[in-house]
Amino acid sequence: MTISRRDVLLGATATAALVPLAARAQTSEVVIGVIYPFSGGSAQQGVDAQKAYETALEVINKDTDFDLPLAKGEGLPGLGGAKVRLVFADHQADPQKGRAEAERLITQEKVSAIIGTYQSAVAVTVSQICERYQIPFVSADNSSPSLHRRGLKYYFRAAPHDEMYSAAMFDFFDALKKKGTKIETLALFHEDTIFGTDSGNAQAKIAGERGYKIVSDIKYRANSPSLSAEVQQLKTANADVLMPSSYTTDGILLVKTMAELGYKPNAIVAQDAGFSEKALYDAVGDKLEGVISRGTFSLDLAQKRPMVGKINEMFKARSGKDFNDLTSRQFMGLIILADAISRAKSTDGEKIRDALAATDIPGEQTIMPWKRVKFDEMGQNNDADPVLLQYVGGKFVTIFPPQAAIAEAIWPMK
Amino acid sequence: MGLLYGLIAVGLALIFGLMDVTNFAHGEFLMIAMYLSFFLFAFFAIDPLLSAPLVAAAMFVFGAVVYLLIVRFAMRAKTNAGMVQIFTTFGLAIVMRGLAQFFFTPDYRSIPQSWLGGKTISFAGIFLPEPQLVGALVSIAAFAGLYFFIHRTDFGRALEATREDPGAVALVGIDKNRVFAFGWGLGAGLVGLAGAIMAVFFYIYPDVGASFALIAYVTVALGGFGSVFGAFAGGIIVGLVEAVTALMLPPSLKSVGIYAVYLLVVFIRPRGLFGSM
Amino acid sequence: MDKNFAARRRRDLIVAGALATLAALAPLFVKDVYVQNILILTLMYAALSQSWNILSGYCGQISLGHALYFGIGAYTTELLFTKFGVLPWFGMLAGGGIAALIAMGLGYPFFRLRGHYFVIATIVIAEIGLLLFQNWEWAGAAMGITIPVRGDSWLKFQFLRSKLPYFYFALGLCCLAWFVTWWLEDSKWGFWWRAVKDNPEAAESLGVVVFNSKMGAAAVSAFLVAVGGAFYAQFLAYIDPESVMGFQFSLLMALPAVLGGIGTLWGPVLGAAILIPMTELTRSYIGGSGRGVDLIVYGALIVAISLALPQGLVSLFSRAKAKNQVKNQVKGATR
Repeated sequence: MTISRRDVLLGATATAALVPLAARAQTSEVVIGVIYPFSGGSAQQGVDAQKAYETALEVINKDTDFDLPLAKGEGLPGLGGAKVRLVFADHQADPQKGRAEAERLITQEKVSAIIGTYQSAVAVTVSQICERYQIPFVSADNSSPSLHRRGLKYYFRAAPHDEMYSAAMFDFFDALKKKGTKIETLALFHEDTIFGTDSGNAQAKIAGERGYKIVSDIKYRANSPSLSAEVQQLKTANADVLMPSSYTTDGILLVKTMAELGYKPNAIVAQDAGFSEKALYDAVGDKLEGVISRGTFSLDLAQKRPMVGKINEMFKARSGKDFNDLTSRQFMGLIILADAISRAKSTDGEKIRDALAATDIPGEQTIMPWKRVKFDEMGQNNDADPVLLQYVGGKFVTIFPPQAAIAEAIWPMK
Repeated sequence: MGLLYGLIAVGLALIFGLMDVTNFAHGEFLMIAMYLSFFLFAFFAIDPLLSAPLVAAAMFVFGAVVYLLIVRFAMRAKTNAGMVQIFTTFGLAIVMRGLAQFFFTPDYRSIPQSWLGGKTISFAGIFLPEPQLVGALVSIAAFAGLYFFIHRTDFGRALEATREDPGAVALVGIDKNRVFAFGWGLGAGLVGLAGAIMAVFFYIYPDVGASFALIAYVTVALGGFGSVFGAFAGGIIVGLVEAVTALMLPPSLKSVGIYAVYLLVVFIRPRGLFGSM
Repeated sequence: MDKNFAARRRRDLIVAGALATLAALAPLFVKDVYVQNILILTLMYAALSQSWNILSGYCGQISLGHALYFGIGAYTTELLFTKFGVLPWFGMLAGGGIAALIAMGLGYPFFRLRGHYFVIATIVIAEIGLLLFQNWEWAGAAMGITIPVRGDSWLKFQFLRSKLPYFYFALGLCCLAWFVTWWLEDSKWGFWWRAVKDNPEAAESLGVVVFNSKMGAAAVSAFLVAVGGAFYAQFLAYIDPESVMGFQFSLLMALPAVLGGIGTLWGPVLGAAILIPMTELTRSYIGGSGRGVDLIVYGALIVAISLALPQGLVSLFSRAKAKNQVKNQVKGATR
């Protein structure tokens, strides 16, 4: 009884307005849905992501001479040069809205695939909807390990997840220990949403396996108005390494509070997120000389692969920022997805899925330090090697693994 | 930290507590003040400590304008005035967030260098961060000033009288709107002070107010509506309880302690610790 | 019983029946899943808001913590289903029952509080619930619970693509909430509540019975909201504390009733029918810009409606018959 005719009319006009778009979509262009938070607390990540995808779109749709899939020539060769069009949708960090937007993109905008989402909780519902409609979902920048273990057929992630990242950190510790550095105690500091919880669990598990002692495991409330009490505990524990998993906001507050309370750990090894954001280093970079963060991307790669630098310039022209760990993954995610659509020679979800499953791109043809892009049966790329970066003199240098490193780690940090 | 909560709450204590107007946009007032402070720093290199009076003055005007343009009408409602106030100010909060995102972009900002930022006085092993210390001093001064203002000046008495019986004060020639606009201005100005201090050590983005708003409401209610001293005491209690809870429970539950103390207090004293209404 | 009053109630019932029938036929014409999705959400929020209205509108106990009951409904259902294999239909009832018990347990100390103290207490209790679930490992903590969807099944109340079962469930819930409200209006409780609202002193003399009736209202309200939460969990097939217990749910339950007309029979339905489509459409069609325009439009509309129509949109309809109704209500109250 609540549906007035007005609703139905409203809905009907909305649909009618979209029909021409959808019809056009099927002829000479391929539509891909991009779902991000464009308003609310993490709107900045959404806006940055939009710029990253637009950069990727330029590489795909225009003729460029990079050694990337689809860079040469215009559009998708497998579909007679069809252009890719992106439709952006706002999920406001709400799983329900993410789900509704995914459904709208699939049924109204007739997207061939969806890419997203920054927040892992939203990725859960979006990927479920994609599975139901048999439309591939590329998880460009979600790092929660539980995502690919749900037995979904249409889920793909080219980037590493938090267990791989954490394992790389512990590999690094092991290597340092062999050289005689003392690393025995760790302090975990993670936020209480999916990202922090997953990351904290992974780190605690690996620490236990490899015989490191966790002297402090602090889970804090995301976006807390104060972190004084938490930092006081960290200071008391005084571990050899502090391992934070924080988004930008909490990261800034953490570093500022540490400075105020006079806590200077021997080393900080961070789980990306906030610690790869320009905003954090703009705010408190001076206090972070020597901080180490895991990542999937490093501008150092530009020395070996000049195109990385050039593509970074393209992105910088749009956003005023260098590629970071998130935006580079987003860029690469869209390239990989578009490449699969081109090889599928179809906009049909199932064919694109099969093409994605058959993806095998050598690492040199990416902007990442990865071995290659090849998905396992769960849709996870296990050859995406994470790197560890150290913040030295206002920029990041790669320090691990040895084959990608360009400098020795400074330990302890200043 | 408790005194800082108090500082954020003091403006609310005036608007919410003394004038009995629900203001759900309090956190957004704080956000605007922090942005003002940030821009004064970014463009004119004015240290937040110096710009605090400027920010407070600007916020005073802003608060008065908001009252005259919007809140005034919300108070006119004859029926369910409480709900109208809640949702008018709630809608206002959303608009302010949207505008902030539109004009300031959602980027996280923060003031990298300032006279106080990151400096610490250490005293017998206890660290007292300077921004917090200054915040605490400003907070005490603000409370003392407001207390004096309400209880010792004609205006303060007018304010109280207006809240209690707008009809009667009209008879003795007090314009209710002028009194309340001034009150809102003052409340917003105090938030301006808080925002300027907060900007030194907190990050700034359009949604930043949300983290503080609930704590501020609880602080004011804990102390009791209508009591300036109550809000001051409330702030200190909230700060202490938070620190103690964080030691006993996982820190992610530290707010639970604050909330539980609030519930406990109002169950025993339904008007808060020092409330008069 | 007053004749006019009875006539109005009869008319309300007939209008509701007609609207419900119309709504039930809507899916024949609306095939688009996005629009269906909006319809489902609209019905769900209408039902939630209607339930909220029983306690906050009719009893005047403004709660901004109903997200607690919503979350309890969602979590009870899904924990029972994923951990013990209890079918959602039973889980739903269990969730409703637990929520009702909690509401009564809280009502005892809470109803002594007045005004802002009560409102803040409700916000705070919902926040506590949220934080506890966020840290409760067994219940999935921040990871939430993913509900395995194996295919269409009425028994498990899950459907892969079809929205219709959800639509009819939401419609049913909405009708139930409306009918309960309709029935309460003319009950002893409804009579007391009106009397208390019209004449606060009467509250003193009625003391105990009013207190008990408020407890009843809290329980009914919480039960219905919890069933709504269980429905939402099934509909979404994934829950985490933030997305079923967040403060925004408390507000979203209250908003339609306030915009439509708080403490009225038709207010919540009317408010939801306008608010929810508006929210969804502004986000979908102007939200992708990343510039917050959708927020500005949405917020400005809320301000405008609250200021222009403090008694809600319902007052637009009743203005013409205002005189009549006032008379009816007075008679109804003093009957």
